[in-house]
Formats: sequence, structure tokens, C-alpha cells
Amino acid sequence: MSLRPVLALLPLLALTACGGGAPADKPTEGGGAPADAGPKTQGTLVAAVQSDIGYLGSVVYEAAADSQILTNISFPMVDPEFDCSLKKSPGLAKSWEWSDDGKVIKMELRDDLTWEDGKPVTVHDVAFTYELIADPVVASPRLSYIEHAVDGKFPLVVDDKHIEWHFDRAYDRDTQIAHVGMALMPKHVFGDADRKTLRGNPNINKPLSYGPFRLANWKPNESFVLEPNPQFTGPDDWKPHLNRVIFRVIPEYSTRLIELESGKIDFMESVLVEDADRLREEHKEINLVRRGWRSNDYVAWNLSNPLFSDKKVRKALAMAIDTDQIIEKVLTSKTGESYARRSVGTITPALCGVHNNDIEPLPFNVQKAQKMLASVGWKDSDGDGILDKDGKKFSFTLSTNTGNKRRANSAVLLQAQLKQVGVEMNIEQTETNAFFENLRKRDYEAALGGWSAGLFVDPASVWGCDTEEKRNEFNFTGYCNPKVEELISKGLDTPNPKDAAPIWKEMQAEIYDDQPYLFLWWMDEIVAIHNRFDNTHIDMLSRLNRLHEWEVADDKIKYKR
Amino acid sequence: MVKYAIRKLLLAIPLVLCVISFIFLLVELSPGSVADKFFTPETPPEVRELIIAKYQLDQPAILRYFAMLKNLLFLDFGHSMAQERPVFEIIFESLPNTILLSAVTLLITYPVGILLGSLQAVWHNTRTDAAVSVGALVLYSMPNFWLALMLQLIGGLYWTGWIEDLNQAGTLSDAAMSYLTLPLSGMADPYLEIVGASPWEQGVDRAKHLLMPGFAMGLAFSGSTARYMRSAVLETIRQDYIRTARAKGLHERTVIIKHAMRNALLPIITLMGLSVPFLFSGAVLIETVFAWPGMGRLILTAIYTQDTPLIIACFFVFTLMVVLGNLAADLAYALVDPRIKYD
Repeated sequence: MSLRPVLALLPLLALTACGGGAPADKPTEGGGAPADAGPKTQGTLVAAVQSDIGYLGSVVYEAAADSQILTNISFPMVDPEFDCSLKKSPGLAKSWEWSDDGKVIKMELRDDLTWEDGKPVTVHDVAFTYELIADPVVASPRLSYIEHAVDGKFPLVVDDKHIEWHFDRAYDRDTQIAHVGMALMPKHVFGDADRKTLRGNPNINKPLSYGPFRLANWKPNESFVLEPNPQFTGPDDWKPHLNRVIFRVIPEYSTRLIELESGKIDFMESVLVEDADRLREEHKEINLVRRGWRSNDYVAWNLSNPLFSDKKVRKALAMAIDTDQIIEKVLTSKTGESYARRSVGTITPALCGVHNNDIEPLPFNVQKAQKMLASVGWKDSDGDGILDKDGKKFSFTLSTNTGNKRRANSAVLLQAQLKQVGVEMNIEQTETNAFFENLRKRDYEAALGGWSAGLFVDPASVWGCDTEEKRNEFNFTGYCNPKVEELISKGLDTPNPKDAAPIWKEMQAEIYDDQPYLFLWWMDEIVAIHNRFDNTHIDMLSRLNRLHEWEVADDKIKYKR
Repeated sequence: MVKYAIRKLLLAIPLVLCVISFIFLLVELSPGSVADKFFTPETPPEVRELIIAKYQLDQPAILRYFAMLKNLLFLDFGHSMAQERPVFEIIFESLPNTILLSAVTLLITYPVGILLGSLQAVWHNTRTDAAVSVGALVLYSMPNFWLALMLQLIGGLYWTGWIEDLNQAGTLSDAAMSYLTLPLSGMADPYLEIVGASPWEQGVDRAKHLLMPGFAMGLAFSGSTARYMRSAVLETIRQDYIRTARAKGLHERTVIIKHAMRNALLPIITLMGLSVPFLFSGAVLIETVFAWPGMGRLILTAIYTQDTPLIIACFFVFTLMVVLGNLAADLAYALVDPRIKYD
């Protein structure tokens, strides 16, 4: 059969034909000589990420990988630091000051930054970026940034170096600054772009850098690479020390873990507690860093369900649950190190000035719980082990999402604990998208879910009442407490964070007393990083914060080229 | 024969339409929509209306269905809703990768399966036959993603650890170690491309990346192929013409290879055509475990984001592959067996 040799060659042809993906274009217009060389670069960091790039435009990005790249290919408007709260240092904005009424921020910008193609970064890029956000056709996920913007004056361009941001009301200054700190999109590239299909614009994923790194290569669904930006004209201490950062897209957790253990990747996020134990014992070359109280789990009670509409019942249920025991079984390592702490609200304890540390979590007390339930009529009158009232059993379904081992295990423990007080809880696992859809539609009885912590206080979305026009979709329980509404309003109207803190603390106490959620725990995320890297920053702001400062010492270089 | 092929392809059209309609219905029935990810608590109502209108979600499903069919007549599969670029651009990024993996899988499955099956038949009812049968059954019954994880563990962790120890001990040079290291996931090492490694080095790297996923898929299928081959060869060697060949004094090897195996290959050819859907569906799990950027992962992502045009286009390609695979098997059958004639 003469076909055989040809058939044998086909795969080889395929191998050579499968070329690379889309290397980002090198800057086409000469922008003059590249900026100063900066420090000698050496070493490579290989990181694993769960999913690929989506869109690399600050106005339209959504994916986690997008945020990672955008942060490193731009120079921040204000340089953030998180230490109990978001602190800001000058970045692209050299200085800024508030008007007396707190409704206007006057900013002076640096004029020495350039885009990769040599064109200068100007106030017009800033204005253009916010114009894109405001344009409803773009459908930007950042619309909340301009919620209190005065049309046409957000920003108002005064001259080539000065702009003003006009708000229709004064609110928390940290939040205001966060809202004006977007990464920029170049006007000379996107000025004439069709805004309806902005996400599909061919220039979106060939972004121009004005920061310390540039996107050197992207192979869709495989990998993307950041390299130092030779055209970067910013401060010298921002110039990178590494040769490159390679991101490999690996969707499966166990694959990432095995790559980490084989030394093929250097960085991995969200390591499970059990695996962290093993890594600590078997791989001394891997550092495990605790990132901070970044996310929590809770049980949401659907307040329109007659079972849960009484505060006393919710408090009783909270006292029937031994949360500490669940933390011990699910979130504590073999060596006794705990990676979770009790939660009393949706404001992270990392916001130390604002978090109400005085709230005592409801104690685990089965007798008291049973007494409270009995006091509102829940008794086991037919002796079947399940409480009943007026002929109805205390039985409900707890929904949670699939693919989350921690929540699956916790649900089983919750079920066992509630059985002790005569409450029957069934568990239902739904696919993640469907689960969140049900939460938004309030189509559930009780739900085991979680939130990611915000770095500034923004309680209206979760705890604000529904209004006539708009149902508050993220208020999953249907909670509405006029006192809390008032406190939220007052807090948002108090620009000085120190004055606002007591208001937020009172709000947290009030919400905790109402128990719309059974607040379970805040979790500490474990991030694994190879110990050859120095000057790493893995913190609340980002798992790969200040990448330009990460470096490898001469004697520890692994990737020599 | 050509008429036969054309007829088969024409019959495929109603099949494709049925599949597409069914998929459309399933997507409609599932909760949520592609626009959900654009809705944040702060999205004002006017913007919501605009987003819904943009994806034509305000129109009733039946209208959207017929609009889609009309576009399909002109082979216009539209733009991905989530990525806002032509659907086939996205598919052509992933399709070659799946085809490559499938080709390698076939290259592993069939030679291994055919060889094992033939040997089993020649040595049938011996202990070797029994042992290989059990082995084949084990491979066949194993969930292939479990096999994938085991391969990663052994080929990755243990193998890497072992050759690193040899390297430390001085038995293995650095260069040899880098050659022998097996990659655990992905299609290629991005490091090599970015530092401008030689085409030879990159080629070897890509070939190494094909090994584990290829074996993970191939070993599972080769078990069933061996079973089929064994029965086919057993049946063939009982035929009269085999006895004639032996009586003519031909070497036993010639009898088996030139006469028996060739005829026993007929059912295997049919099997090859039928295995196309399994290659694609098995690929979804393998592609996820090995981070292989192929159609399997693309379909999964499309489903999770409820990106209807992309889902429809993916299933269209899938159905087309199945039809073409079956057609190729039929035609190959006719080519190989002169008794078969199509009209």
C-alpha cells in the first residue's frame, strides 16, 4: 500500500504547520530611541492561570487574566497600596486635591509618559476612556464608576496637564479616587472605532502599553507572555527586573498542582488546604503565602419564605450551627493551622478601620436554639425527630453550586448539625451559572454561596432595599431594613473615612442582628510561589502585585535564556 | 461511487438541521443568557434595554430561530456574542489542534490495537491471549480522564523526580535530562518560542506534548480495537482460502499478514469511521486535563457563556465531522473490498 509513507508524514507536517499564535505587533511608528535600558533583567516567572484573556481594553475587560495584563501594561493613575484600607500615592496623577464641598477633584497629570508607538499619553486619552464608559452602546461593566459623574465634566480638561472630576455628590474619598483611576485606552487607536463591536475590534487584543511591561505574545487558550516595555518612559524604579513573565492557561486544578510540583510552573493561586499541607512537607522550594481575607461563604435565607421570615428563627438556626467545627474540619490544616475565621458581615476584616470587631458571633448553643424555636411554635409533636408547626414540617432545601468541594463538604456538615435540633435540610447542587441565576431571581429556599471582598465599602448593592423601578438583583435575600438604608445613605454621604467608620460599624451590627445570612467564614487564600523569587508582593490588591519589582538573584536563575 | 457520496452528503443536510434545531432548543431552555454577564447591580435600565436589543434577546425565540436558519442558508454563522468576532475565526483557532490530537490518537490506537488483536488471535486460547484480553478490558473500562491524571502523575511527577535524581547523581547530563523530561500539559512550551529556540527544538517539544494526551486517549481505544481485531482475525483464519494458502506452502507469517489480517481489517475500517464522534467527545475531558486548546474546550466555554452562535457552529462542525467520518469509512470499505459496489 503506497499510502503508508504519506500517512506517516502527515503528523509531522501538522506539527510544523501549527505555527505560533498571534504575536503582538511590535510598535510600527518609530517613537524615537527607546527609553533608558533600566536595570539588568534576568530570570523568568512561569505562572498558571485558570482562563484565557478576554478583552484587553480597560473599559470592557471582565476576565481575571485581563485585569492582570492591564495592570502591568499601564501606569496607574494613582498608585494603590492596601494596608487596612486603600492608600494612594501619585502615579500618572502627580497630585490631586478636593474642593471644600468634596464634589470636585482637581488633578495634575504627568506629561512624560508615552504609548508603545511613541505617541504621548495625554489628558485627551483620559477624557476618551471615560467617554467610552459613559456611552451606553459600549455596555461597559464599569458603569458604576460614573454613577455620580456630572455629564461632560468627568473629566473636564482644563489644559494639557490639568483635569477636574466633577461629582454630583460627595462620598467616600477612597471610593471617589478608585472611580477616577481607570487604566487608559488610547484615543488615537480607538477614536474612530465602532463602539457597538468594541470587544471584537482587532486592536483590542493588541494593546499599546504605557506601563512597565508589554504583551509580547498571545496564543489564544494556550499562553500569553509579558516582557519589559522598552518604550516605557516612567520612573526608573518601575522598570522590571525579570526577563519575562509567562502565563500558561491550565483550566484544571489538579493539572496546575502537578505542574507546580514538577517544577514546570512557579506560581499557582487558590491552593486547597489539604494540598498546602502536602506541599509544605514535600516541596521545600515552594513558598506558601497567605493572601488575606479575600472571600467568604454564607448561607442566604430567602426572607420571603415563611420558614425564614422570623428573625428569631434565623437566630436560632445560627445558634444550632457549630461553625467552628466546620472550619476545623474543612478549612484547617493537619498541623492545626486555620485558614478561616468567623464572619460577621460582608465587610472584610482586612478593612481594619471599618470592620466591626466588637460584634460577637452568635454562640453555638443547641439547647438555646431549641428553646427559641419552641417559643415560636416549632415543636416535635409527632415524635418523628423533625420539628413541626401547624402541621408543617421544618424541612427545606439548601442549594449550592457544583464544582466546589469546600461548599459540598460544608453542606453535609450543616445538614448533620441541623438534624440535631430537628431541622431537616436537603442538599441540592446546581451548575454555577444556573445557581447564581436562581439567587438573582430569589428562586431558592436557602443557598450556600460566597462573596469576594471589596477593597472599599460598598454595601448598597448587597443590602439596599428594592426600589419601585429596580429590583436590587444582588440583594439575594430580599432584605430591607429602613434603618440600614439610612445608615448606608449617611455613610456614603460622609466623605471622610474616619467619620464614616462608626456609621459602617453600626450598620454591620444592625445587619448581624437581623441575620439575613448565616455568616459563616472569611477564607485566607493560599498562593504558591517558588522560593527563588525575591521582592514578591502577594497581597489583597493582587496575587502578582508590583510585578516590576519581582526578581531572581544571580545564583538562582532557572531559565537561563 | 461519486453518486453515492453525493447522495450521502445530501442526506446529511436534514441531519445537520435536526441537530442544530435541537441544540438551539436546549440553549433556549437553559437558564440565563449571554447578556447576564453584562448586568451589574448598577446597570441602568436604559443600558439593559440596549444590551438586550444588541443580542436580539427581546425577540421571541421562534423569530431568532428562523433568522438563524436564514443566515445558515448563506453559510453565515454569525458572530460570537461573547467575543464579538466571526464564529469561524474562533473555530479555526481550535479545530486544527483537535484534529492533530485525533490524528495522533488514531496513530496510537490502531497500530497497537491491530497488532495486539492479531497476536491474540494467532495465540488464541493461550495464557498470553487471556492476559492481553484482561489488559484490553481494563484499558477499555478505565475512564480516560482518570487515565490522563494517572499518566500525569507517573509521567510527570515520578518520572521527572527520577530523572532529576539521576541528573543530580551525575548519570544523566543536563541536555539529556531536558530531552527526557515529559511535558504534562499544553501544546508547546511558550518559553522556547519566546526565546527563539531552533525549529528542531520546538518541533521535538511539540511532539513531546502530543505523547501524554495521545496515549491517554489512544490506550483506552486500543483496548476495544484489539477485541474487534481478535474476533475478525479468528474468523478469517478459519476460512478455506487460508487453508489453501497454507497448503500451498506459504510461510505462516505471509499467510497471516498478507491474507488473514488484510481481510480482517475490513471491520476495523468501519470502526475508524465510527470513532470520530468518540474522538471529539473523549477529547473534551482530555483537553481539559491536559490544557489542550481544542474544540472540546471551545464547546465547553461556549456552553458556559451561552454563546448561541458559537455553540451552533461548533455542533455543526462536529456533526459534519461525524458524517464525513462515516462517509470516509464507507468509501474506504469499497476501495479495499472489490466485492462492494456503490451505485
